[in-house]
Amino acid sequence: MILKSIFFVLLNFIVAGLFAQTTPWDVPADRSAKLSTTAFTDQNRNTGRNLYQANCKSCHGDPGKNNVIKLVPPPPDPAATQLQQNTDGSLHFKISEGRGAMPSFKNILNSAEIWNIIAFLRTFNKDYQQQLAVKPTFGGEVFDKVELKLTADQTHTTIVAQLTGFKGSLVKPIAGLEVKLFAVRYFGNLMVDKPMDTNAEGKALFSCPKNLPGDASGNVSLVAQLSNEELFGLVKTESTLAIGLPTDRPPLNEPRALWNVVQKTPVWLLISYLASVLVVWGFIVVVLLKLRTISKLGE
Amino acid sequence: MASEVNTKFLQDKRLDRIASDILRPVGVDRSFLIWMSSLTMLLFVCLYAYYIQLDKGLIVTGLRDYVSWGMYISNFVFFVATSLVGMLISSVLGMMGYKWVKPIGRIAEIIAVAFSAVAGIVIVSDMGRPERLPFVFMFGRIQSPILWDVTVVTTYMTLSILLYVFTMIPDMAISRGRIGHTPPWLQKTYELLSFNFQHKPEQYKILLKAVRILLILIVPTAFAIHTVTSWLFAVTTRPGWDSTIFGPYFLTGAFVAGSSAVIILMFIVRNNYKLSRYITVEHFDKMGKLLFLVSIVYFYFNLNEYLVPAYKMKTFEARHLIELFTGEFAFMFWSVQLLGLIIPMILLLFKSMRKPAPMFIIAIVVLIASWFKRLLIVVPTMEAPFLPKQNVPDAWMVYHPTIVESAITVGTITLAVMIISVLMKLFPVIPIWEIAEEESAHPDQQPVE
Repeated sequence: MILKSIFFVLLNFIVAGLFAQTTPWDVPADRSAKLSTTAFTDQNRNTGRNLYQANCKSCHGDPGKNNVIKLVPPPPDPAATQLQQNTDGSLHFKISEGRGAMPSFKNILNSAEIWNIIAFLRTFNKDYQQQLAVKPTFGGEVFDKVELKLTADQTHTTIVAQLTGFKGSLVKPIAGLEVKLFAVRYFGNLMVDKPMDTNAEGKALFSCPKNLPGDASGNVSLVAQLSNEELFGLVKTESTLAIGLPTDRPPLNEPRALWNVVQKTPVWLLISYLASVLVVWGFIVVVLLKLRTISKLGE
Repeated sequence: MASEVNTKFLQDKRLDRIASDILRPVGVDRSFLIWMSSLTMLLFVCLYAYYIQLDKGLIVTGLRDYVSWGMYISNFVFFVATSLVGMLISSVLGMMGYKWVKPIGRIAEIIAVAFSAVAGIVIVSDMGRPERLPFVFMFGRIQSPILWDVTVVTTYMTLSILLYVFTMIPDMAISRGRIGHTPPWLQKTYELLSFNFQHKPEQYKILLKAVRILLILIVPTAFAIHTVTSWLFAVTTRPGWDSTIFGPYFLTGAFVAGSSAVIILMFIVRNNYKLSRYITVEHFDKMGKLLFLVSIVYFYFNLNEYLVPAYKMKTFEARHLIELFTGEFAFMFWSVQLLGLIIPMILLLFKSMRKPAPMFIIAIVVLIASWFKRLLIVVPTMEAPFLPKQNVPDAWMVYHPTIVESAITVGTITLAVMIISVLMKLFPVIPIWEIAEEESAHPDQQPVE
């Protein structure tokens, strides 16, 4: 009897396991082995919680409450083994790249922010012990400060990102590091050109797209960022350059429209409404006046 | 309505008989007082429920984030719908020259007045913060069908009241000296509402002109009132509402509900007020045919409304239709379609079913079904939003009307019944002058009781 029960329980597990099986998500070995270079602090976890609430909760639900969105395959609850068995590097890769219904967050969150989310996720795993990566160095060189600066040439054909290291009074261009350039827009940034390495002068040269829409004066907000966030931390700069096509789009609440305020009612609607109301109520007044006449005639 | 009145009926002896027949039940008697006090008591119980809602807010109802339009808005649509019959009987049939509608025209008008007046109150019952009602006029947007709805409901109510008052002016004058059995305040009211009417031909001429204007105005306004009510739903993209035929679909449904309301009142007037001489078997037969006609048109619109999307089965429409046909709402849906539409239509084909008593029962069933029909239009769509329902308490998933909410709804129906009772009991329910004129013009035609 007991054996029979055990058999059925096992069978149940096997069958359930078969159906729950989805194609494994292969993570490249080097990404899977990647680790955070800094120890997770409470501040990291708090930031991570806020980021989780804003970006992840709508599908993954509240960790441990198993209230995930009903999708096939279902997104794992962050507290579940399915998620927690991933290495830190695998989680980082999966959040960055995305797959299927899971969106890619690499252009929405930076690497440090993703590590913060992982720090938060690991609070739901009692057995978790953080392993740290050895902090890489840049050919033995250490800088007090590393800066990126964005400029455009006269003809607006090339955008230059200048990478410079500062150490005391020493100012030195940094060569051979990859820089990414983005144009800021609603709902995630747009990558401009492709990631470029800095040359011997510390310059990464991006060719400027001809058809990038700017604001009314052609201004475009740009963000340049060092791809490797582990060498010097997050190195990032934001600039507004007049490299875009001047685009004058009046805001949607400017013209008369159905969705606008009452002062901006479409004319056809205003006329139809007011005319109907005036005609009908005008006749009502006429009818009421007739009532007076009837009454007067009877006196 | 004729353009001229032959005032010789005033000298006709028949007028005395007609006036005394119709004015006999008028007044305040014991049974009326008992009836009205019971209704008042019921109304107070329902007002207490409304007090609870005012105090605690809409949380005492079953309305939540998903189903924010429940019983109240369904009830509103029902009230607007039923009130439309005033237009159908008095304006459309009256102006086309159908003489048989004369005795029941005022009954239809009473329904129009009572139901359109209460419809406005029903909307307020759906408001969590009713003191913000003036905001509609202060900050309302002409672009919003809600503002159109407020406009047309007010206009239709005004027109219905005016039509009711105008067509009653000669009766008020005829009643002078004939209502000695009624309380003095009522006699005063009659005097006031007769507007010095002395049956002068000029007075009749102006009166008929004014009534004609009202009858014409009321047709587009009535179309507007219910079309706009349907647009409150149809201007959204939600499954079950996203339909181009919603305007006519609502209108024809309204005629079904309104005609059955008229039949119910006709039966009560005929039997309680002993007016079978004026509201005859023939009238029930005609109303039965009218109910059949509006039902078959409504059936045709139902066929379009459900068969066409059911043939295509687009994802969200399919979910909605399956819910109606075989799901949670299937019992209510099929009951409403069978009892409120298909079975009455079949029964009305038989002459024996168009007699007063069977018609009365059919009309009650049809009217109740048409109330539930409105619930079926509002609730299932609200329960099925496009985005998945998640992270909310289980009670929010499905709409369950509460006792407080039901009591408030009963209160609005009670209020409508009270208005109808007052108008029917204190004023002549059949137009005396129109009947007298008709009988005087055709003295040889005697009605079959």
